[in-house]
Amino acid sequence: MQYVIVGIGGQGILFASKVLGKIALERGESVIGSEVHGMAQRGGSVISHFKVGDYRSPLVMAGEADILLAFDQSEAVRNLHFLKKKGSLVVNVHDRKALENASLAGLVRDREINVHSLEGYALLKEHMGGNFLFLNVLLIGAMCGAGISGLSFAEVSRAVKELSPPKFQDANMKVLALGAEAICSGR
Amino acid sequence: MTEVSRTVSTKAILLGNEAIARGIVEAGCLVASAYPGTPSSEILPAVAKFADELGSPMAVEWGVNEKVAFEVAAAASFTGARSCAVMKQVGLNVAADPFMSAAHFQLKGGMLLVVADDPGPHSSQTEQDSRYFAMFAKVPCFDPCSAAEAKEMVFDAFDLSERFGIITMLRPSVRVDHCRQDVELGELRPPKGQVKFEKEPSRWVCLPASVKVNHPRLNAKVEEIRAAFETEFGKYNYEVPSREKSVLGIVASGVCFSVVSDILKEWGREDVAVLKIGTPHPLPVKMVTDFISRHPKVLFLEETYPVMEMQLPDRTGILGRWNGVVPGAGELLPEVIAGILAKILGMDQPSGEGSSLLREALEDLKITPRKPMLCPGCPHRASYFSIRQALPNAVNPSDIGCYTLGVNQKAVDAVVDMGASVTMGSGFFLAHKAAGTERPIVSTIGDSTFFHMGIPGLVSAVYNRHAFVLGILDNSTTAMTGGQANPAVGDKLRKGDEGRKVDIEAVCRGCGVTFVRTIEAYDVAAGKEAVKEAWEHAQSRSEPAVIIFRHPCMLLRPQQPVVQVKVDPEKCIGCKFCINFFNCPGLVFDETRSKAYIDERFCVSCGVCISVCPHGAIAEVSEEGK
Ligand code: SF4
Ligand code: SF4
Repeated sequence: MQYVIVGIGGQGILFASKVLGKIALERGESVIGSEVHGMAQRGGSVISHFKVGDYRSPLVMAGEADILLAFDQSEAVRNLHFLKKKGSLVVNVHDRKALENASLAGLVRDREINVHSLEGYALLKEHMGGNFLFLNVLLIGAMCGAGISGLSFAEVSRAVKELSPPKFQDANMKVLALGAEAICSGR
Repeated sequence: MTEVSRTVSTKAILLGNEAIARGIVEAGCLVASAYPGTPSSEILPAVAKFADELGSPMAVEWGVNEKVAFEVAAAASFTGARSCAVMKQVGLNVAADPFMSAAHFQLKGGMLLVVADDPGPHSSQTEQDSRYFAMFAKVPCFDPCSAAEAKEMVFDAFDLSERFGIITMLRPSVRVDHCRQDVELGELRPPKGQVKFEKEPSRWVCLPASVKVNHPRLNAKVEEIRAAFETEFGKYNYEVPSREKSVLGIVASGVCFSVVSDILKEWGREDVAVLKIGTPHPLPVKMVTDFISRHPKVLFLEETYPVMEMQLPDRTGILGRWNGVVPGAGELLPEVIAGILAKILGMDQPSGEGSSLLREALEDLKITPRKPMLCPGCPHRASYFSIRQALPNAVNPSDIGCYTLGVNQKAVDAVVDMGASVTMGSGFFLAHKAAGTERPIVSTIGDSTFFHMGIPGLVSAVYNRHAFVLGILDNSTTAMTGGQANPAVGDKLRKGDEGRKVDIEAVCRGCGVTFVRTIEAYDVAAGKEAVKEAWEHAQSRSEPAVIIFRHPCMLLRPQQPVVQVKVDPEKCIGCKFCINFFNCPGLVFDETRSKAYIDERFCVSCGVCISVCPHGAIAEVSEEGK
C-alpha cells in the first residue's frame, strides 16, 4: 500500500504517517516513508510518502500511489499525478467552485479516480469551535470512513488515541468519528 | 519528538535521524555535540531522549556552532571516550578547520562525524556532497540507504574509527534523515576503554613537524581501510545480481540504491544487476572494477557529486555524471532515475508531471506550489515591516534562518551564510564610504545565528568603526530547525541538566556597542522609531548600533492577547500595500472584488496588521461583531 499525504506546512500532515506507521507496526508489516522537515514546513507545500510492505525506497513514484490524502484542495490537484489508475483521493475542500474545471473532471474520469471530499474547515467550525488544529485527525477519520485503506475504524482510533497527548484524546476521538461520518454521509 | 511505539518485539518506527541517535547511544558514546541544521536537527534531541531512557551517562549538548561541536567531540576522543559531532553539510564548512586538522591525528576514542546532506536542496544554501569532504580530508565515509542501515553503520563507524584511529563520517542524505521506517532497537553497550588523557605533544599538537609523520600515515590508513572495505563490509557493499543475462550494471550508493531497487522491481527487470556501495570513500576499487568488467554497460547513481566515479582508475564506458548521463545538479528523485534508466534501456517512460489534462487543469486553476513563508503572527514579519518603513532606502543584508523568508516582505537583499548579515553590513558600509556615497544599512540576524557566528563580525565592526544597524531578531529559539534551545534561552537537552542564559544585550555592550535597544517586535511604531534613532546614532558616531526585536516564535505557542481583526471593505481601496510589504498568510487579496480580506484558516489573531494598513481598513472586530 502506497500513500502520498499532501498539504501546507503547519497543517500537521506528519501525524497521519505516524498513525499509519503505528498500525503497520502492530500488524507486523514493514514500512518506509519520507517526510518534509525544515524550511518547507513554514507554510509551503508539504508532502509525505508512506509505503507499507516490501519496499526499499522511501519515495512513492508518480503513478504508483494507492491513496492521496490531501489536506488542501490545491495541493490535491498539484499531486494528482502520484495516484495510480483507480486510486483514491481523500481531500479537504474549502472552495468547491474553484475546483470546477473540465480538464480536471476529464482527468478524474480518465484515471477512474475515486474522489472522497469533505469540507473540513466548515465541519471544524461547526463542531470544534473553529479549532483547525484538528484537521489532521479529521482527514484520517475521513480516510477511514471511505473504507479504502483496509484499516478498520477500531484500529485507527486505537492508534490515534495512543499517539494523542492526554488532554486531546477525547477531542481527537470525537473528530475522528466526525471525519468518518462526513465521508459516509457524503458531506 | 516522535513517540516510540513499542510492541512485543523490539522494533519501533523511527525517523532516520532517530535511528542514528539510537545507534549513537547504544554504541556507548560518551560525548555528543551538534549545532542544529536541516536535515540533521532531530538527531541530537533524540540522542538526549534515548540516553535518558537507557540510562546512559553521556553528555549531550548543543554547541554554539559546528566548529565548537566538532572540537568538543574531538577532544573527548583524545581522552579515549567515544564521541560524536553532528551537523548539516554546510555546517561542516564551518567545522572544516578542525576537521581537516584532526583527520591527521591518531585518535584514541572512536569519533563519529554525522553530516547530513541535502540534495535538492530542500532547506540549504548549497547541495554540496559531504562525501567529497571526506575524500578531501582522507577519512572513511559510510553512506546509508535507509534508516535501519544508518543505525547499523553507527556501530561499524565507531569500531572502524577506533581500529584505525581516524574520524569516521556517516553521511545520511535528507531522504535517510527524514525517512520513517521500522527499526530494531537494542540495548546500551558498555562504554569501551577508559577515559584518560595522556600527555603526548607529538600526538595532540598539530605542529608542522608532526604533519610530516601524520600525512604519510594518513595515506597508509586510507589504503588499509580501502582493503577492509573490499572484503569485510559485505553487509553494506554487495551485488544484487540479475536473474537473466545482464544488459546493464548499476553501481549505486546511499538512497539511490533504494530508489533504483524499487523501480527495477516495479518494472520487473530481471536483466539489470546492481552493486550496492555503502562505503563510497575510500572506494573498494577492486570490487567495483570487477563488477564493471562483467557488464556490457555500467551506470553510476550517487548523490550529489560523482564521488565514486571520480575514484575510478578508468571511466571509459561508464555512464554517469562525467558524460552527462546523470544530471550534475538536483536530487535524484525516482522520476529522474526512472527517466535515466528508460533512456538507457530504450523504454517508454511517461513523464513524472502527469498527463496533459493535469497540466491544463493546473494552468486553468492557477495552481502553483506554495512557497514557504513566515508563519501567521510571526514576530519577524512585524520587525521587517518596522525596518522597511523606517528606512525604505536601506540595504538589508540578512542571515540564515526562518527570517530569510523575509524576502517575501522585500526586507532581505543579500544572504550568504551564517553570520554574514553582520559582515555584509561592514562590506556595504565600506564600499559606499570608499566611493564617497552614503546609504543606510540595516542588517538582520536571528538570536541563534548571532551566537553561532555573528559576534566576531560585530567585534570587527566596532573595532573598525562601521556604521550600520544590526537588528537581532530574538524569538528565543532556533525556529527554522524545529525550535532548539540556544544560549539566549539557556535550556539544555538532557533531563536534569541546567544551562545558563547568555544575555544578548550584555554581549553586544561587551563587544563595545554603545547603542543597544530592546523592543517588543509586535510594536511597529516603537520599532520604526528605534530603527531611525539607531541609524542616526550609527551614522553620527561611525559605529554599529543594535536593536533587539523580541517576541517569542509562534511555534512555541506563546500566550498572548487574541486580537480578532477584519478588513473593512468600505475603507479598503485595494492598494495591496499590506500584501506587498507585510504578506501575512492570514491576510489575502480577492482579485475579483479588489479587496483584502482575512483568511480565517490561517489568521492567528495577533493584531499586528492593524498598524500596517495606511488607510485604516484593518481593525479589531468590536465585541458586538464577534
Ligand atoms: S487592507 Fe489596506 S493596505 Fe491592504 S489593500 Fe486594503 S487598503 Fe491597501
Ligand atoms: S491578525 Fe493580521 S497579521 Fe496577525 S495573523 Fe491575522 S492576518 Fe496575520
